[in-house]
Amino acid sequence: MIRVELRVNGEAVSREVDDRTLLVELLRYELGLTGTHVGCDTSQCGACTVKLDGAAVKSCAVLAAQASGGEVLTVEGLSTPQQLGEVPAAFVACHGLQCGFCTPGMMMAIDYYLDTDGSLDDERIHQALEGNICRCTGYVNIIEAVKHAAHARIEAGKPVGRQHG
Amino acid sequence: MDSRLVGQPRPRAEDQRLVRGQGRYTDDMNLPGQAYGAFVRATHAHAVIRGIDIEAASQAPGVIAVLRGQDYLDDGLRGMDHIPNPADAVAFKERAFPDSLTGSVFNQRHLPLVVDRVRHVGEPIVLVVARSAREARDACEMVLIDYDPLPAVVDAVQAMDEGAPQLWDGAARNLCFQARVGDEAAVREAFARAHRVVRREFRNSRIVNCQMEPRSALGSFDAGSGEYLLISGSQGVTRQQMCIADALGIPPAKLRVVSPDVGGGFGPRSCVNPDQLAVLWAARRVGQPVKWTSDRNEAFLSDYQGRDQVIRAAIAFDEEGRILGIDNEIIGNVGAHTVSYVPLANGSRIMTTVYHVPAATALLSAVLTNTPPTGPYRGAGRPEATHVMERMLDVAADEMGMDRIELRRRNLIQPSQMPYRSPMGLTYDSGGFAANMERALLVSQWSEAPARKREAQSRGKLLGTGLANYVESPVGAPRERIEITIGADGRVDFVVGTQSTGQGHETSFVQVLADELGVPFEAVTMRTGDSLFVKVGGGSHSDRSMRLVGHLLLQAGEQLRAAALTAAASMWGIDAQGLRYAGGRVRDEAGQREAGLGEIAAHIERAGMPGHPEEHRFFAAAEFNGRIAAHPTGTAVCELEIDPETGDVEIVRYTSIDDVGRPINPLIVEGQVHGGLAQGIGQAFLEDYHVDPESGQIFSGSYMDYGVARAGAIPRRFDVELTEDRTHGNALGVKGGGESGITPATAAIFNALADALRDITHEELPMPATPAAIWSALQRAQEARS
Ligand code: FES
Ligand code: FES
Repeated sequence: MIRVELRVNGEAVSREVDDRTLLVELLRYELGLTGTHVGCDTSQCGACTVKLDGAAVKSCAVLAAQASGGEVLTVEGLSTPQQLGEVPAAFVACHGLQCGFCTPGMMMAIDYYLDTDGSLDDERIHQALEGNICRCTGYVNIIEAVKHAAHARIEAGKPVGRQHG
Repeated sequence: MDSRLVGQPRPRAEDQRLVRGQGRYTDDMNLPGQAYGAFVRATHAHAVIRGIDIEAASQAPGVIAVLRGQDYLDDGLRGMDHIPNPADAVAFKERAFPDSLTGSVFNQRHLPLVVDRVRHVGEPIVLVVARSAREARDACEMVLIDYDPLPAVVDAVQAMDEGAPQLWDGAARNLCFQARVGDEAAVREAFARAHRVVRREFRNSRIVNCQMEPRSALGSFDAGSGEYLLISGSQGVTRQQMCIADALGIPPAKLRVVSPDVGGGFGPRSCVNPDQLAVLWAARRVGQPVKWTSDRNEAFLSDYQGRDQVIRAAIAFDEEGRILGIDNEIIGNVGAHTVSYVPLANGSRIMTTVYHVPAATALLSAVLTNTPPTGPYRGAGRPEATHVMERMLDVAADEMGMDRIELRRRNLIQPSQMPYRSPMGLTYDSGGFAANMERALLVSQWSEAPARKREAQSRGKLLGTGLANYVESPVGAPRERIEITIGADGRVDFVVGTQSTGQGHETSFVQVLADELGVPFEAVTMRTGDSLFVKVGGGSHSDRSMRLVGHLLLQAGEQLRAAALTAAASMWGIDAQGLRYAGGRVRDEAGQREAGLGEIAAHIERAGMPGHPEEHRFFAAAEFNGRIAAHPTGTAVCELEIDPETGDVEIVRYTSIDDVGRPINPLIVEGQVHGGLAQGIGQAFLEDYHVDPESGQIFSGSYMDYGVARAGAIPRRFDVELTEDRTHGNALGVKGGGESGITPATAAIFNALADALRDITHEELPMPATPAAIWSALQRAQEARS
């Protein structure tokens, strides 16, 4: 067993977990943050993507212990009860989701893309989403949502493509 | 009905929770005191089990029980009957295949755990139940299975050979059934006087469903009441409830099935899986709830798969290129268990698609092999049939030296022929087949393709265009029901028996009902996915949801409006004659009195429903059992470029003209088209299900070795247009949109590939047409020439 201490969506968390526990398992099964999903066992699908210290990571490929001391942002932290964040709002507006299973991971990868690049070029967006699979939408509307969210960020006066995680 | 909401591209209501991470998928749910299950799965495709040693596993830390198939039988239980033979597309009370040329239609019950013989890699043999999922998995490693391997067969054509390994007693030559459909004599006569007969064989590849949510099941049993609870994603709870209750030998009412948010369906999740039954039985055995969630590797071995047909096609033409007759042989790979014959039923019924074919016949074979079972996968037989029909027309045009569009024009069913009865017995009530094609030609700038071809050539690329027309069939479970209750607070609650697996029912169904009742969108709530209140319903598949539910919502809505008038009249002690219903309110003509639905509901709660004084809810139900004619149709055009150096392909534009009837929510409909297209692109280029023909070992077992389309695989230009030719078959005028994108996709793509390679090779490319496959075909052509 090992003690992990980290901040998740701004809140301090401390847990004693089995050494093998993955970050995604900590989030889902210990903290009840079930918005982060598990879609594969080979770190191919991206459903589990979260931000760890500002960088998008596949939380199925990070041990909880490795994340100790870090700052984690999950899908639950993208919006407030009153207001959707720019990326979730863009997904709703552009019909960027169907079953919604890939969506949290997809949105976290996009949030990171907007932080670090934010270009509206299709090729760049495709590359940024290379690690995320969606079986429902055909991606067209997800790509729309990326652009929509980029505009929304700019309109809200938030930086796009400047932070480096 | 006023149309404030219907037809609006309204963002979806369900998204509010899904984008906040508040969706509730099965694995997100837990029951107090639950244990965890893990399966030991077969490592051989075909083998006799000599022994199962559970000694070490039983002693492993945290293990509560190690359960075998024999334990299940010892409890007096039986396997599941999938009822693989579907309801007929027309005579819905009959089975699609009433009899078989082999004597009888084979159907084998499906046990949750194998007892003495495994028939595909990944088949569950042992269920370990432990305190934690990790302990259950660790203990699985300690179970020793003593196998006596048998020869395996994975290819349906080979499995029909005399001397091929036999899977089940009672299915000689591995045939579940063989059926001759259509008019064989008329076809023979047509072929005898044909100017030309075109023949070709197609292999429609096997598809792994790859819904993003791994399947999961949580079962519990209450010893006091004898009631079971299953929480598990599916495409509809009713079928799960019936099938599993039958296996457990209990009345359906003793099993409650809940399907919460479901992370993708695509067909196979209509059917019941052995693990869903296993967790319930295990829960009763160990006296605590049991939860199991598949990992992706398990999913590749045990989710029901799709497609996998061999079609030998022959079309007879006259001198003018008019079709005289079609004679197809369709061989469907059923896999190791009799889960579904739906693809063969659909595929044969629709095989003449949008063309006037005077005579058609098909010989159908459903064949068992040592592979995971197949079920209906998006389109379920219709994309396969469309692929063959459209490829055949291009091949025929080539052989006859005709323009491929002109050949289609000569054979398309014309509006003047509506209603049109196809030789396979379907009646098309509407559909502007020719107009859709002409529109697609225009939008895709088909006539300028030769110039684009030359331009591409100057860059060293091979450009090809391909077109495919399609039509679908109105099948699926015939029975559906909705119930609407209006409360004294004016809120409208309705229950449906379909299940959204991403189609946005909480939005589109609400749009229909809110308009019908003239109330705001926000006043209406949909409930589904729990057999506690869903008593009847067929689930979501075959484009049936809006077709049936929309129709029933209008019927029940009309009842409610009529009841509102009568109830208001009795409330006011006046005659209903002078009352009007509009905007969710009843008014008298003089403008003296007015009541909203809430007030009327309150009155009914006191005084009873007009005509049904014993009913104290403002309530209406509508139920239907049958077929509603609706044939979604359209045309797809694909334009692509092949790099002959590498075999790499880029789709440069894709046009999709879709007649879904009246689109309730165009945003959702277009999304369905996009999604279907992506799956079509996946099958055409990427999804290479690979199983070793000798051993039956499955090589494509993860997303690392099975290609699902990622964002970069989607064309840069994607033009979707909805033409709206409302059907008269239902009051709402809807046809369906869930399968529009996928049905013509591989056909349009493969026609484009063939066009690009027209001057080099006429070989039929394998599916998927990977760069390696295309490059090899180019090499072979070059070698043949030199
Ligand atoms: S679950 Fe992490 S990448 Fe698939
Ligand atoms: S929305 Fe279903 S997998 Fe992406």
